[in-house]
Amino acid sequence: MPLYMLLLHGDPKAWNSLSPEEMQKATERYMAWVKKPFTKDAKRLGDDPGKVIRKPKGSQPRTTDGPYSETKEVLGGYYTIEAASYDEAVNLALEHPQLDYGGAVEVRHVYGT
Amino acid sequence: MGEGSQPDILLEHLFRREAGRMVAFFARLFGPAHLDLAEETVQEAMLRALQTWPYQGVPENAAAWLFRVARNSAIDAIRRRKMQAGEAMLAEIARGDSIREVDPLIEEQLRDDELRMIFMCAHPEISEEASVALSLKTVGGFSVREIARAFLADEATIAQRLVRAKRQIRERGLSIEMPHGEELKQRLDSVLETIYLIFNEGYAAHEGEDLIRRDLCEEALRLGQLVATSSISTPKANALVAMMALQAARLAARVDEAGELVLLEKQDRNRWDRELIGLGFHHFNLSMAGDEVTEYHAQAAIAATHARAGDAESIEWPWILQFYDQLLEINPSPVVALNRAVAVAKVRGPEEALAEVDHLEKRKLRDYYLLLAVRGHLLLELGRTSEAAANFEAALKLPCSEPERRFLRRKLEACRSPSASE
Repeated sequence: MPLYMLLLHGDPKAWNSLSPEEMQKATERYMAWVKKPFTKDAKRLGDDPGKVIRKPKGSQPRTTDGPYSETKEVLGGYYTIEAASYDEAVNLALEHPQLDYGGAVEVRHVYGT
Repeated sequence: MGEGSQPDILLEHLFRREAGRMVAFFARLFGPAHLDLAEETVQEAMLRALQTWPYQGVPENAAAWLFRVARNSAIDAIRRRKMQAGEAMLAEIARGDSIREVDPLIEEQLRDDELRMIFMCAHPEISEEASVALSLKTVGGFSVREIARAFLADEATIAQRLVRAKRQIRERGLSIEMPHGEELKQRLDSVLETIYLIFNEGYAAHEGEDLIRRDLCEEALRLGQLVATSSISTPKANALVAMMALQAARLAARVDEAGELVLLEKQDRNRWDRELIGLGFHHFNLSMAGDEVTEYHAQAAIAATHARAGDAESIEWPWILQFYDQLLEINPSPVVALNRAVAVAKVRGPEEALAEVDHLEKRKLRDYYLLLAVRGHLLLELGRTSEAAANFEAALKLPCSEPERRFLRRKLEACRSPSASE
């Protein structure tokens, strides 16, 4: 079955206003997603947006702050899921808790799968 | 990815419980003036759990994991802020580190810290309202939003109360140390009162979200037990726990499947929580240890009499009336008197009860919907249906919750077709 990547974008500060009870709910919902039968891989990335390396023509490689410095959102993690079609992958992604905590989910097909 | 060994859900209220214990621990460590820092430290630990547990699995001892992460972030904060007495704090943290994670000693320490924290939150120098909010926020692990929802207040009001309470703690230099001797007795009264207020807020049949209200009752019961099972427990503390447990046992039976209010007498006793009733009687027995009879004793006795009756017919109303007499003597409030009138009707008939209710109306409770509802009920029993209807109609014009409104409407209909009277 084809694989799709879900790229999770979100504002790490969004969690600050949650109560312990809500944090626990959120933790449980993410845990449940990682264990879904169609989830093949799930990884979280650090909250620090990190650096981007570029190599302008004819000069040395340069690192700059992450491409997200103007927005508060960072790429917070990625899941690889199995789905019959792009539409089905989107439908599955609609249930992802990321969407309920102010984040966004980008759905991309993995070529050759 | 289907790793079968991982649990699907965590222990119920794990975060909330641990947050309360950890905030208490760090508030003692940093000092009460740094309550905010204690809360941030704990929040950070829970955030870390959210970020790692779904991907790396839930650690075997989740509570100890949270505590360790919070400890590390506390060390960072102490160093970063160059806190006064930071060295002593670091030493204390290091001492905690060397203790095994599930050591009963550290369990005991956490319980002590929590107890101290309740005493500080319920300090007489902080207003009652603020004490309740601060206890729920710090020891209870509730958020501002959750407290606001439970109290039908807006978030800004609750947030302000918390800010004010924390400022009072700072400015008056309130200590987180346990009081002793005569001071302990007084301070314990404030603690019990705060717990009682939390419980009542959850138990009162106001509008609002049922779930959060049940959580309040649960939290009040937990705090009450924390006090009642500690070394500073008193018969009064046991009476409070008994009263709360026996009343909370009936929570589920108060509404039927259709969401309609069910009067105590008509409740399905199979839906009463046996475990809570057992707990209630356990503490009720312990509450008999002294000579002192408090308001909580009288209320617990009333709840116990109801719990003991196998069905509505075997309720010992004369006993209940006697306990109401006691209660009224200790707390001569019109609301208690109104409740007592219901027992008077059972023992001496509706006529006498009606006279007492009328007397009450002249005094204070004129615009209280419950008074009109009780009077309507008594009049209906006496067959004075048109007067009863007028009372239910007047009650319906006053503020009350939707289930209560529907209940009053059903009573009103009963007035119009007396044969269907409940």
